Amino acid sequence: MLIQDAFKTATRSLTHGKMRSILTMLGIVIGIASVIILMSIGNSAQSLILNQVQGIGSNLVFILPGGSTSGKFSSPAAAQGIVVKSLKQQDVETLSREPSITAATVEVRGQGKAIFGDNDVRVTYDGVPENFFMVRNFKTTDGYPFSQSDVQSFNHVAVIGSELAATLFNNLEPVGKTIRLSNTTFRVVGVLEKKGTGPGGVNQDNIVIIPFTVAQKQLLGTDYFTDIIISANPTYTIDFVKSRIASILRQNHNIISANKDDFTIQTQADILSILGTITSTLTLFLAAIASISLIVGGIGIMNIMLVAVTERTREIGLRKAVGATDKDILEQFLIESVLLTLVGGIIGILGGALVVGLLYFGITAFSPTLGWVFSFPLIAVVLGIGVSAAAGIGFGIYPARQAGKKNPIDALRYE
Amino acid sequence: MIEVRDMKKEYLEGETPTLALAGVSFTIKKGEFVSIMGPSGSGKSTLLHILSFLDRPTGGSYTFLGKGINEMDDRELAHVRNSDMGFIFQSFNLLARLSVYDNVEIPLLYSNVAPNERKALVEEAVRSVGLAEKLYSEAGRLSGGQKQRVAIARALVTDPNVIFADEPTGNLDSASGAQVMEILEGLHKRGRTIVLVTHETYTAEFANRILRVRDGLLESDTPVVKTRNSKQEFIK
Repeated sequence: MLIQDAFKTATRSLTHGKMRSILTMLGIVIGIASVIILMSIGNSAQSLILNQVQGIGSNLVFILPGGSTSGKFSSPAAAQGIVVKSLKQQDVETLSREPSITAATVEVRGQGKAIFGDNDVRVTYDGVPENFFMVRNFKTTDGYPFSQSDVQSFNHVAVIGSELAATLFNNLEPVGKTIRLSNTTFRVVGVLEKKGTGPGGVNQDNIVIIPFTVAQKQLLGTDYFTDIIISANPTYTIDFVKSRIASILRQNHNIISANKDDFTIQTQADILSILGTITSTLTLFLAAIASISLIVGGIGIMNIMLVAVTERTREIGLRKAVGATDKDILEQFLIESVLLTLVGGIIGILGGALVVGLLYFGITAFSPTLGWVFSFPLIAVVLGIGVSAAAGIGFGIYPARQAGKKNPIDALRYE
Repeated sequence: MIEVRDMKKEYLEGETPTLALAGVSFTIKKGEFVSIMGPSGSGKSTLLHILSFLDRPTGGSYTFLGKGINEMDDRELAHVRNSDMGFIFQSFNLLARLSVYDNVEIPLLYSNVAPNERKALVEEAVRSVGLAEKLYSEAGRLSGGQKQRVAIARALVTDPNVIFADEPTGNLDSASGAQVMEILEGLHKRGRTIVLVTHETYTAEFANRILRVRDGLLESDTPVVKTRNSKQEFIK
């Protein structure tokens, strides 16, 4: 039988039972669409996270308190929620004197309630020195960042995120107004430009930035830092800067062996590498979960094809009587199942693309600052078509073989 | 054309062996119209199935156009069925949802006929059974007689050497049955070999020879003396 005749015959059989064909395909449609949607979401999330990390600048080096074991995925103690007090003012001062370092800044992070009038918002506050704004490239749209003298004089001044400004002050001008943060009053001196979500998922538009001296001594009562951020001198390689930081800190902390480090140094590249691996694994995991529905859909195809073989026993008998070979019959039923899964796969891909598109518009409309990116991986399309065709062959071969093996006499007598 | 020597067919019904054909011998020459008669369970349908390559004998020999059935594999049998044999069944075996055209075309799908030559062959076959105006009608919507004529067109479309008909009038009223038998008679007159299985004497007498089978054995092999008008007898 010519291949075009086989396709014509298979198409005719499928279109004669439209409703059954549609319902049979549904399993594959849902399976492929799920894989596409979850892979796209995984990819978008990966791009979002990686973009955020890339957005912090390639010359930045982060020093986190607490050591980490040598494994790639071992996180520093601070990232696991353990309070480690190893990063002190002396470290910042010695690091600042290092020629391969352009600037060293710090963060002291806390949680509190920001209140203005009747409005209150739970926020993350960040105690920083004046050079933080330059190192992290934080700019104000209104007012100005606080100065060195504000930091040294323990002035109660604050720079707030744009979203927080809108929430607390509605239509009022925030600069010059006084807010309360953890029962302490602060005069707002500046409002930050929109920054979106930052590393670690912190909403940078909903923060209060205050002098670290005030945060340490008056709000938290501590003398250590949440992290130190280094702006590397671009004439040196990042690896060299990392090694210099490590040796300075080891000297400060009297550490002899590298595996006893009480700090962790991370560059943008390190973070990207770790996050990239994690998000890729997550995407694969999501796709694996979605492929369960594909298997269920495939079993549905096999089931329906077995029923079709039984129902069409007399047709098989007739075709064999007039000259069809076992192979002709096997091919016909196999083509039918592959057509079912392929069409199902294509509909699934289109449906998946539609959902991914709607998700993109929904997320960007609901949260425009999030930076959600539209991602429709071509590999998912290729995979979708490949997997659906393979499912058609894999789940169709048994029913097709059963059809091909039928004895023509028994098939013609079948009632 | 057909040479059968001491042909046997044994079935297993559960654990019990049953002899459907106990040693049958005969020959059919090209251009003959032969009826095979016998009561239910006599073995006539089994004989027809083996003659038409739908089944294999378990003993003896069967040679069709000089080649023994046991020398051929299933693929070769399918090829011979397609190119040298035409089939007409009691229950028509049409694909009800397909058109007359599509039904008649089925044997050509498994032949070496090029797609662009098929249309003319199908149209000619359908025209020869008087259904040209029904070419694109759905087969399931035709009357019983029309369905059997479509089945005859399907049997003719590959221009086979022999047509095997298994109780072709069994599901038809007498007028339609007569029409079908007239077509078969016409085909025979134009030189086609026809092997017909029936249990009706007046249908069998359209042939020029009758083989009577009983209990798996050939009881008689007699020529038909045409003393009456078979068609008139059929309609009565």
